[in-house]
Amino acid sequence: MQFELKNVSKIYETGQENITYGAKDVTLTIKEGDFTALVGPSGSGKTTLLNLIAGLLIPTKGEILHKGESITHMSLEERTTHRLDYMGFVFQDYQLLPVLTAYENVEFPLQLKKIPKQEIKERVLWALEQVGLSQLKDRFPKQLSGGQQQRVSIARAIACRPSLILADEPTANLDSKTSQEIIDLFKKLNSEHNLTFIFSTHDQRLIDQVKTVLYINDGQIAEVKEHQ
Amino acid sequence: MSYFNFLMKFGYRNIWREPKRALIMILSLSLGTAYILWILNFAEAGSKEVIKEFLSQYSGSYQYTHPDYYPAGNTKKFNAFATIPAAEIPSEQKINAIPRVVAPVFISGNKKTLGVLLNGTLPEEELSLSKLNSSVKYGRFLDPKNSNEIIIGQSLANKIDAQIGDEVALIGQALDGSVANDLFKVVGLLDFGGGDLEDSLSFTTLSSAQNFFVMNSDQYHQYVNFDMERPAPASSTLKVTTWHQLLPEISVSIRFIDGFTKIVCIVVVIVISLGLSNTLMISFLERQKEFEALNIIGASRWWILGTLIIEVFILGTVALLIGLVLGHIFTIINFYYPINLEIFTNGKPMFLGGMLIHPYVKIFPVAKYYWQVSLLIYLFLILSMIYPSYKIMNRGKNAV
Repeated sequence: MQFELKNVSKIYETGQENITYGAKDVTLTIKEGDFTALVGPSGSGKTTLLNLIAGLLIPTKGEILHKGESITHMSLEERTTHRLDYMGFVFQDYQLLPVLTAYENVEFPLQLKKIPKQEIKERVLWALEQVGLSQLKDRFPKQLSGGQQQRVSIARAIACRPSLILADEPTANLDSKTSQEIIDLFKKLNSEHNLTFIFSTHDQRLIDQVKTVLYINDGQIAEVKEHQ
Repeated sequence: MSYFNFLMKFGYRNIWREPKRALIMILSLSLGTAYILWILNFAEAGSKEVIKEFLSQYSGSYQYTHPDYYPAGNTKKFNAFATIPAAEIPSEQKINAIPRVVAPVFISGNKKTLGVLLNGTLPEEELSLSKLNSSVKYGRFLDPKNSNEIIIGQSLANKIDAQIGDEVALIGQALDGSVANDLFKVVGLLDFGGGDLEDSLSFTTLSSAQNFFVMNSDQYHQYVNFDMERPAPASSTLKVTTWHQLLPEISVSIRFIDGFTKIVCIVVVIVISLGLSNTLMISFLERQKEFEALNIIGASRWWILGTLIIEVFILGTVALLIGLVLGHIFTIINFYYPINLEIFTNGKPMFLGGMLIHPYVKIFPVAKYYWQVSLLIYLFLILSMIYPSYKIMNRGKNAV
C-alpha cells in the first residue's frame, strides 16, 4: 500500500484574477502503518489535502497515485469505488445515518461492497469489538453519546479493512476525556492492526502522540516532524 | 437478498424519519388516487346511465332498417313502408324489440298544420321497455283498447293549438298510395324539455297507425333496445344503425365528457405531483450533507439516487394502495346509494339532446381504471422525482 502525491497543486479561483492555493506543489508518500497528522491554521489547506488524497478533488496540477495507479485520471464513479475499496473516513461530526443502528451503520459500506452476509456479520462484530461498542450495537445514533457515535464512525471506517483511514478533525467535537479515548483507540488500531491513519487536527494531545506531523501553511508542507 | 433487504429497510426507515411529512404526502397522494379512481368510475357509470336513460326514452340502442327504407342514392328521402316483419329480426333481438310503424304526416289543430312523425306502437310493450310514458306530463299514455288516440309534444300542441281532449286531423300517404286522413283524439302531452323532439313526434297505437296507413297487421318496423355493450347481432338483409349514428350529438357529448373527465384527472395528478415534487425537493435538500457523506464513504451518486427512488416508490405504493382501497369503497358506497345527477341542476331534470332525463348514477368499479390509475400514479411519481433527482446528481461534489 502506498499513496503518493507528486507535485500536487490545487488552485481555487475566487474571482476573475484572484486565485488561492489549496495545495501547492505537495509531494508526499503515505506508507502502510503511517500515523500522520496534518496541522496548520484554518484555511491552510489541510482539508484540501485530505480531499485530494480521497479523490474528492482533482488536482489542478500533479498526480496522485495508489499502488502506482493514478487516482487523478479516474472517473467520478471510479474514484467513489476506489474510496469504498481502499479508504475509511472519520468525520468531525460523525455523519452516522440516523435511521440505522450502530450495527447497521457499520454494516453500510460492507453492504455497498456486496460482501456475503456471514462475512458482513463477522466484520461488523469485529469492528464494534475493536471500538468497544459490542453491547450497544442495536442503539440508534441519537441514543449514543458523542464519543460513542465517533466510535461507531471509526468502526464503520475500519470494517472494510481499508488501506488508509482519513479523519478530519476527529476529536474537535469531543470533550478532553473522550478525545483521549479516541486517540488511544486510533493508536491501538495503528499498533495492533497496522492500520494507516492520516488526519487533520488542532488537538495538541493528538499532535503529541502521532508518529509524523506535517505542518501545512498556504497549501504547502512547511515542516515535517517525526516523533519517536 | 441481504443487499436488497438492506436497501428496502434503509428506504423504509428514511420515509419515517419525518413522520408528519410522510403522512401528509401519503394522505395527499391517497386522496388524489381515490378521487381519480372514483371520478373515472363515476364518469363511466354516468355516461352509461345517461346513454341508457336517453336511449330508453325513444331511440333504442340499435335500429334495424329495411334495405329499401332509404331509396338508393338518397338517404334523406325514405320509404316509410319498407317495413320489417318480426321474422326478419335476428332471434336474439326479439326479446327486446317493439313493433312500431313510423311515417311522416301532417297534423292540424285549431290554429295551424305542421309536419310530424307519427309512431304507432304497442302501449303495453312500450311501457315495459321504454320510459316514453314518463315523458307524458299532462293527460295519460295510450290505451291499447282505444283506437285513434294520440299523444303529441307539448310544444307542438301549443303551436297548432290543441288541448287534451281535442281532436286533431292527420293527413299522410298510405301504403297503397292513397291519401290517408283521419281524426285522432289528443290524450296526452309529452314533455321532452322543449327541444326539437317535442315538435316532431307523435304517438298512437300500432293498430291505429296500421289502419291509418292501410297496412297489414304484420307490417311494422322494429324498435330494438338492449344492453348497449353487446354488439348488434348481424342480419343478412337488414341494415343496422347504432345509437352513435342515430344520435351523433349525444355520442359526441358523451365522448367530450369522458375526455374532459380524463383531462381533469391528469390535471389533478399534475398538481399533486408538483406538490409532491416540492416536498421531495425539500426533503432531499435537507439531507444533502448526509448524501455527501454517503458519497465520501463510497456510495455512488446513482446508488444514492436509487435509494431515494426506492423511498419514493415505497411511499407511493403505500399511498396508491390506500387510495385504491378508498376509491373502491367510495365507488361501492355509490353503487348501493346511487347519485342523483339532479343535485348538479338544483333538482331540475337534465336536458340532453332534446330530451329531459332523470339519471341516478349507480357507480360501479371498472377494472381497467384500477391499473390505469396505478400506472398514472407511478408515472407521475417518476415525473415528480426528475427535478429533485437532477438537483441531487448535480449538487455538492462533496468534501470531507
